[in-house]
Amino acid sequence: MKMKMNYLAWSGVLALAAAGAWAQAPGPTDPQIAAIVVTANQVDVDAGKLAKSKAHSKEVREFGELMITDHSAVNKSATELVEKLHVTPESSATSQSLQKGGDDNLAALKKLKGSAFDRAYVDHEVAYHQAVLDAVDTTLIPSAKNAELKALLVKVRPAFVAHLEHAKHLQSTLSKNGA
Amino acid sequence: MPESTFRPVWGVAVAGLLMAGAAASMAAVKPAAAVKQPAATHTIVIENMRFEPQTLTVRSGDRIVWINKDLVPHTATADAKAFDSRSIDANASWSFVAGETGSYTYTCAFHPTMKGTLTVQ
Repeated sequence: MKMKMNYLAWSGVLALAAAGAWAQAPGPTDPQIAAIVVTANQVDVDAGKLAKSKAHSKEVREFGELMITDHSAVNKSATELVEKLHVTPESSATSQSLQKGGDDNLAALKKLKGSAFDRAYVDHEVAYHQAVLDAVDTTLIPSAKNAELKALLVKVRPAFVAHLEHAKHLQSTLSKNGA
Repeated sequence: MPESTFRPVWGVAVAGLLMAGAAASMAAVKPAAAVKQPAATHTIVIENMRFEPQTLTVRSGDRIVWINKDLVPHTATADAKAFDSRSIDANASWSFVAGETGSYTYTCAFHPTMKGTLTVQ
């Protein structure tokens, strides 16, 4: 099971690593970046909803709730900005792969219960936020053409860093408790 | 709202000027010492998942305003709930008037990595 979860965690990482590869090739366009941002947030909102209803520990349920709140707030700002800029988000291999990784993660989590669910969810959150941050730094910010889109990415970055630290803290608490 | 908190300050200042004009026979006007020092308003900006300034010292009776410039909601929640803003939305603010003296450490209840200290003298 552990191996399986690692594999799933990596599927999200790989999706974003693919985005990273574009740093060499021509980067994603602004409409593609918009879709990547919206998908990346939505995937984590969906996982948060599952954690809120299914997690065993109170801390993990609260973290799931925080992911719903924060990633919904970021998407609200992102959606307002792309509407203002008249950018139509455009699907790409990266956004599709993110969606697929998110769906696979939910399917795997739904089979788990109790502390096994908590660990799998939190492990994935750590890997996912790390991968999102890497993509933001190496691909999305450098590729964004529109100054306001670039500014939005810069503005959301600290929240993702805080989420990563928070998830890592939960991860170490869960393993200390032998959960 | 922050604007209204300035009115009493202006009120005191204007009253002070009027008194200074009316009481021209008084050789020395001591506006600061004569009147109790007016309460000040302090602003703490929440941005990039940090409280800025992270440490602040105020006087009892001063107003402190937290403005959230992040995209996500935050709180300013003192240990033992000495004060608690509850959720402050993006671009919203919350304020309270400092009461009992002491040093209060506070965090964002949502994001435990965010910490600040308010000292009330």
